[in-house]
Amino acid sequence: MVQRLVRLTLLAVLLLSGCAVTPPAENAEPVTADTELQGSPAMALLSRAEQARAQGQTGAASRYLERALTMAPNSSWLYRELALLRLEEGDGHAAEGFAQRALRLAPDNDDYRAELWELVAAARAEQGDRSGADQARSRAQALRKPDRA
Amino acid sequence: MAKNAKKPASARKGSARRPAKSGNKRNTRSAGRRWFSWRFIAKVSVVLLVLAAAGLAYLDAYVRDRFDSHVWQLPARVYARPVELYPGRVLARNDMLKMLELMRYRRAGGAPTPGSYTTDGNTLVIHTRGFRDSDGGEPAQRIRVTLGGGQVRALSSNDGDSLARLEPLQIGSIHPGHTEDRVFVPLDRVPPLLVQMLLATEDRDFYDHHGVSPRGLARAMVANVKAGGLVQGGSTLTQQLVKNFWLTQDRTLARKLVEMPMAVLLELHYSKERILEAYLNEVYLGQDGKRAIHGMGLGAQFYFGRPLEELEPHQLATLVALLKGPSYYDPRRNPERALARRNTVLKVALEEGALSDQAYRRFRERDLEVVPRGASPLYAFPAFIDLVRRQLARDYPADVLGEEGLRIHSTLDVLAQLASEKALSEHLNSLDASGDALNGAVVVVAPAQGDVLALVGSRESRAQGFNRALDATRPMGSLVKPVVMLTALQQPKRYSLATPVADEPITVPLTTGKKWTPQNFDGESKGPIPLVDALAYSRNQATVRLGMDVGPDAVVRTLSQLGVKKTIPAYPSILLGSIGMTPFEVAMLYQPLATGGFATPLRSITDVLDKEGEPLARYPVDTEEVIDSGPAYLIQWGMQQVVEKGTARSARSVLPPDLKVAGKTGTSDEYRDAWFAGFSGNHLSVVWVGRDNNENARVTGSSGALPVWSRLMASLPQTSLSQVPPPGVEEVWMDPSGEKTSGKGCSGAREYPMLEASIPEQSDGCGSATQVKEGVVEWFKGWFD
Repeated sequence: MVQRLVRLTLLAVLLLSGCAVTPPAENAEPVTADTELQGSPAMALLSRAEQARAQGQTGAASRYLERALTMAPNSSWLYRELALLRLEEGDGHAAEGFAQRALRLAPDNDDYRAELWELVAAARAEQGDRSGADQARSRAQALRKPDRA
Repeated sequence: MAKNAKKPASARKGSARRPAKSGNKRNTRSAGRRWFSWRFIAKVSVVLLVLAAAGLAYLDAYVRDRFDSHVWQLPARVYARPVELYPGRVLARNDMLKMLELMRYRRAGGAPTPGSYTTDGNTLVIHTRGFRDSDGGEPAQRIRVTLGGGQVRALSSNDGDSLARLEPLQIGSIHPGHTEDRVFVPLDRVPPLLVQMLLATEDRDFYDHHGVSPRGLARAMVANVKAGGLVQGGSTLTQQLVKNFWLTQDRTLARKLVEMPMAVLLELHYSKERILEAYLNEVYLGQDGKRAIHGMGLGAQFYFGRPLEELEPHQLATLVALLKGPSYYDPRRNPERALARRNTVLKVALEEGALSDQAYRRFRERDLEVVPRGASPLYAFPAFIDLVRRQLARDYPADVLGEEGLRIHSTLDVLAQLASEKALSEHLNSLDASGDALNGAVVVVAPAQGDVLALVGSRESRAQGFNRALDATRPMGSLVKPVVMLTALQQPKRYSLATPVADEPITVPLTTGKKWTPQNFDGESKGPIPLVDALAYSRNQATVRLGMDVGPDAVVRTLSQLGVKKTIPAYPSILLGSIGMTPFEVAMLYQPLATGGFATPLRSITDVLDKEGEPLARYPVDTEEVIDSGPAYLIQWGMQQVVEKGTARSARSVLPPDLKVAGKTGTSDEYRDAWFAGFSGNHLSVVWVGRDNNENARVTGSSGALPVWSRLMASLPQTSLSQVPPPGVEEVWMDPSGEKTSGKGCSGAREYPMLEASIPEQSDGCGSATQVKEGVVEWFKGWFD
């Protein structure tokens, strides 16, 4: 019995020290366009896309982003931007697909991933898929939990 | 306003013509009865006047109606994707120069005007031509591009960003139903010298006459008398326009009679500028097969490969020279005549003060400088244009495509297209020098966006006709194997890449009562092999065993998951690819495999703009996750083994050594079809080689199609497939049985990426890596027991 208690304590210490050594993902550096596209020529197109979007020119914004994607094909951020844009245009199907792609390429950052799951949820809601949206939202919440605890 | 102008005109005309003549006759006939005759004459005159007035009113309405509502026949034009330049872009100097040549950029010190460039070692100064696009497009500007090591090292442009685009190359026009083609050029963009030359040679009094020119007529008559034959027509530009615009070409008297009044009416209502603009865009300048070349804008493209604005005086003079007889003075067929006539035009321009003496001397020494007909990129890519046409036909009626001057921005990458054509024709020439037995097709796609970058439908890529890339439906053979494997890998509790599969004879009873006994390509059976080896070495018996285990219906479901739309019966034979597919359909099927599970419809068009360059329609990228990240990663890894060690390993000697690619060979029964479909991180290419008559082509996927694929892929800028496993996939050492974990360095152990659900709990007790992990778990478990 005592032996078992000792073992459990040891285990707890091990786990805790493990936490201390490898910081949990939610404390990772925030993901931004800069962290994702630093030094890439796609950055210039991204900012043009943002300007176009701000002026309501979603078509032009889309073209900029698609061009940027050929320069930085593995950028989660660009897929995220495309998802946001398609959502704004009311194309939930493509928005969901792009958000999923962004998730696939996402760096190990829980906040960022949670945000992408929220995006998936919104895209599913746009398509009238309520239960799918709920599922995505709970994935987002699960990722945010440590923050709230 | 217009109404006021009409009446006096008809009245004037009416009295000036017919009534005078006929009046005389009646006068003599009824000489005795003056009372009646005067009244009669008056009556007749009134009737005739009214008739003439009505006729002219009708003509007038006709002229105005047709001129105001005239719809220029402006066929839709198809453009390749613009060449995008930015630091880091893979682009060999030769390819850059090849593009500039295709786009007819001139080499000129300092790159003074749009469409010119200059080189200084590895640095190019390019004066780009501006263009419109759905994102606004690019202004014409001077950019400085430094190339080195096969890529763009540096780039500077006006806007400070290190980004620039060259205008999209026109690769075709779509004119269904009629054959009139033109590029509309507004008058303010027509070089003034062209107008000066035109007026000097064709209609010197243009700005002074009212549609007909008695002076011009007199001059022509004098000239004709002097020459003893018909050398000058004497009709004004306005008359010529009327003839081209409204009247048929047959020279009936009635036509002749209405031509003059119509010319006058036209002048009454419209400015000289509008008439000139219409003339410049209407005029017929030559024939290109079935396509009639109309207008100076297209004339410039057709004869010189450049926009009208960029032509030099001697080239403008050649266009003016053509007006006298486009066929007789055709600079390609009759260069001597064309040159003589061109020099006459230059001389007249000199006499009229449009050219300086010095310029005249300089330009009359120049050659015609007409581009050879075959060199035009307009007919270079018929297979791709065919695809664009089919995609457009779904969304646009034929008349819109024929008339509205739509600008279709396509996804074609000219360099990828040229590389595909070259790879296919060179390899087929080496296999079949006679050139009549083998043929083939290539499809190249950028999988992430579904952009079709290249499409080759024949080994003679310029040949119109059977488009094998889109229309040759052939059994896909072993190209289906990744789909069979993927079906299994989607059930991780039952299958992993390490799962042993028996490559042993198998007999499958068919519903027809017959039995199917598939053989391996080499006639041998390897016994139990890991699932991945059945793929890498394309083992038929192992694949059929696995396929029968998961069920052909499950394989059909995976096919539809990957986007195959047509109904495929779940016969056992589909496990070895009895399914007929076109190369394009194979590209669609493989696209989600190339992107790690995201299906994106293939597109050949990105945008449609109207003739002013305003965006009309967009074909945005769509995407959907169809395969989970885990199985998608595993099948990609498996397909990489095909190239690393399997049936496609010969590609390794052609491709850059560190480039990670994946693919699959395919050979159908009796060597009828040779396939290879494979991808890197940014290109998916499908190659088919076979015979049109479906006979034995004596080629395999490895010998017939793979070399084409390898050479093509080696010549494109490539990125590797990602080697980072997604969450839920671990690298695990497995023992040779494929049923227990093992460790690095253990006898026969191999490392596989595996889904967590597939990793067996049992270990063979050897090795370290996996063993330790397992050991720790066991150790912890022990604590609580």
